[in-house]
Amino acid sequence: MSGSVKEAPGQAESLFLELHKKFIKDTPPSGGLRPLAEAALKRFETLGFPHRKHEMYTFVGTQDLVAQPFTLSGGDPTPDGDFLRSQILPGCEKSVVVLVDGRYRADLSDTSALAGDLAIVHLAEALADSDLQKYFKQVVDEENDVFAALNAAFLTEGVQLALKQKAAPEAPLQILCVSSGSAAGPVLNQPRVLIQVGPLAEVKLITSFCGERPNYFVNATMDILVEEGGQVACSQVQRDALDAWNFCKTRISLASDSRCFSVGAYYGSRLVRHHCDARLKAPGAEFALNAVSVLGGQEQAHQFVRIHHEAPHTTSHQLFKNIVDGKGRTSVDGTVIVCAGAQLTHSDQLINNLMLSDEARVDNKPNLMIFADDVKCTHGATVGQVDPDQMFYLKTRGLSEKTAKELLTKSFAESVIDTVRFPALAAELKRSLLKKLEA
Amino acid sequence: MLEIKDLHAGFDGAEILQGISLSVKAGEVHAIMGPNGSGKSTLAKVLAGHPSYEATAGGVMYGGRNLLDMDAEQRALEGIFLGFQYPVEIPGVNNAEFLRMAYNAKRVHNGEDELDPLDFDEILNEKMSWLGMEVKYKNRSLNDGFSGGEKKKNEILQMAILQPKLAVLDETDSGLDIDALRVVAGGVNKLRSPDNALILITHYQRLLEYIQPDFVHVLSRGKIVKSGEKGLALELEAMGYDWLTTTNA
Repeated sequence: MSGSVKEAPGQAESLFLELHKKFIKDTPPSGGLRPLAEAALKRFETLGFPHRKHEMYTFVGTQDLVAQPFTLSGGDPTPDGDFLRSQILPGCEKSVVVLVDGRYRADLSDTSALAGDLAIVHLAEALADSDLQKYFKQVVDEENDVFAALNAAFLTEGVQLALKQKAAPEAPLQILCVSSGSAAGPVLNQPRVLIQVGPLAEVKLITSFCGERPNYFVNATMDILVEEGGQVACSQVQRDALDAWNFCKTRISLASDSRCFSVGAYYGSRLVRHHCDARLKAPGAEFALNAVSVLGGQEQAHQFVRIHHEAPHTTSHQLFKNIVDGKGRTSVDGTVIVCAGAQLTHSDQLINNLMLSDEARVDNKPNLMIFADDVKCTHGATVGQVDPDQMFYLKTRGLSEKTAKELLTKSFAESVIDTVRFPALAAELKRSLLKKLEA
Repeated sequence: MLEIKDLHAGFDGAEILQGISLSVKAGEVHAIMGPNGSGKSTLAKVLAGHPSYEATAGGVMYGGRNLLDMDAEQRALEGIFLGFQYPVEIPGVNNAEFLRMAYNAKRVHNGEDELDPLDFDEILNEKMSWLGMEVKYKNRSLNDGFSGGEKKKNEILQMAILQPKLAVLDETDSGLDIDALRVVAGGVNKLRSPDNALILITHYQRLLEYIQPDFVHVLSRGKIVKSGEKGLALELEAMGYDWLTTTNA
């Protein structure tokens, strides 16, 4: 029925409103977080969960997700030591910030390699800064993604990671978001991390999502604010339990001559949605977003990208490589917005999909909205199967059908993996990301 | 070694080869010449086992076995090598790694152990120096962004590594300048032995100055219209293909 698109009005929302009451009672947000959480709750109520034709959720069905009887993770579960160690990347042993079920855990974190460069502050304290307060109020008031509003409505345990002016630590900072999951029933956890990169600082970040047990929904929000001349190379690695939901909104704000180069790697799970909202606010800002996903079974991953060129002389690049097998489903909905006056913007976007089965599904929605007249913007999307000419070539050299197919699939993903700026992570992705296709 | 009998084959229902018979013995070099569209490349693809090409009549025996029953991979493992007219670019596949995989696939097929990267590297370095190939081509993606000449050298490099019993080189000379042609031909000549055979498919006689064929066959409209010794190539060069097609019409 096209007339009634909103399913079971209010029912799903009321589940979460109940959950919120419990949250306010059990773990009331402190200080400056309280008004933000309240404003965000209002935003959540106004937005409501998306109906099937919601513009932001065209390719993502959330009806099943929001009908789940979620509980909030209680207590301070401590992950198994071996599990935790296995999730820390080589080279990050002394530069890792651990969040368990959205809570920052100083007892599990070690940032000694970044001493003097990094300050870790509870968000409630960080909000004493009036500029930050203003920023948070604005993003809450203007929030258009209901899941990000939901995250803010439950804001109590956020953490600020501030990298000082001109900091250039050798070691990459790993932000490890562990979901502990539960055998009892689905658990909701909502990490909130604010990363501030000071002027002329040069840092490497890796955000990794992992689950110790199944049965959870991680709904994260990351804010990355890069000040003048700051440079960030960041990677986001999603490697959750197979039945997990992983939603993450990343807001990136780039000041003049700052750069953010990010690479996402998605191992897939029940439903992954990454919402990237980048704002190039001043001349010289540059943003790159590359992502690779490998999906099989019934897994689904969705990229929702909005890049706003708000100033002249700004540059953005996007490259997506998605591999789908089985009944997997991948989609990219990416819009580049060149605001009025943002002359000499340069933007490119390319989405490549490799389908390995007849039942896999791919949706692409590349889009450009240009309100300036002297810009260079390109976009493109391809969907294909393994190239038969390449297969034939490899087979004439004695490689088996299976080996040739694996080699070509790997090579498809590697052009993105090779852009990861941390050798240990790139090596790990090469080793494990494509493993699931080798069955 | 290779016995082609009245082979009819084509692509997408169109019969391009219309009854080819050819016998190649170990140690021989056969040149197949002919105008554009005569079926030269089709013959190469049929011999290598391209899945889109189908033999509709006749047969091909290779080393006493029915070649047409084997797929491309089996043919390669049994010693058939196709040097592509247009080598396929494969971005993201490391050239040296690919060469080692192909080399090891063959070793495993022959019941030998795989060679580790270090030992293989020695072999690779030696063969690359034959062809005057720079070391950088090891770590480049397979044929990706290679110039025409580099691609052809890379084909001969693969041939040198895989040491085929029967190599079919499809217009290996096209796109090569004279210096590259000399190097490539030198590489091919080094690989000649009484145990292996070579089929050279070419449009021009030029290549045959460097790789001396034992026999020359002229292909026209899917048939061999004339066979002879190497002098035939010179005759063709002087008179043009029209001479043959008209005298045989």
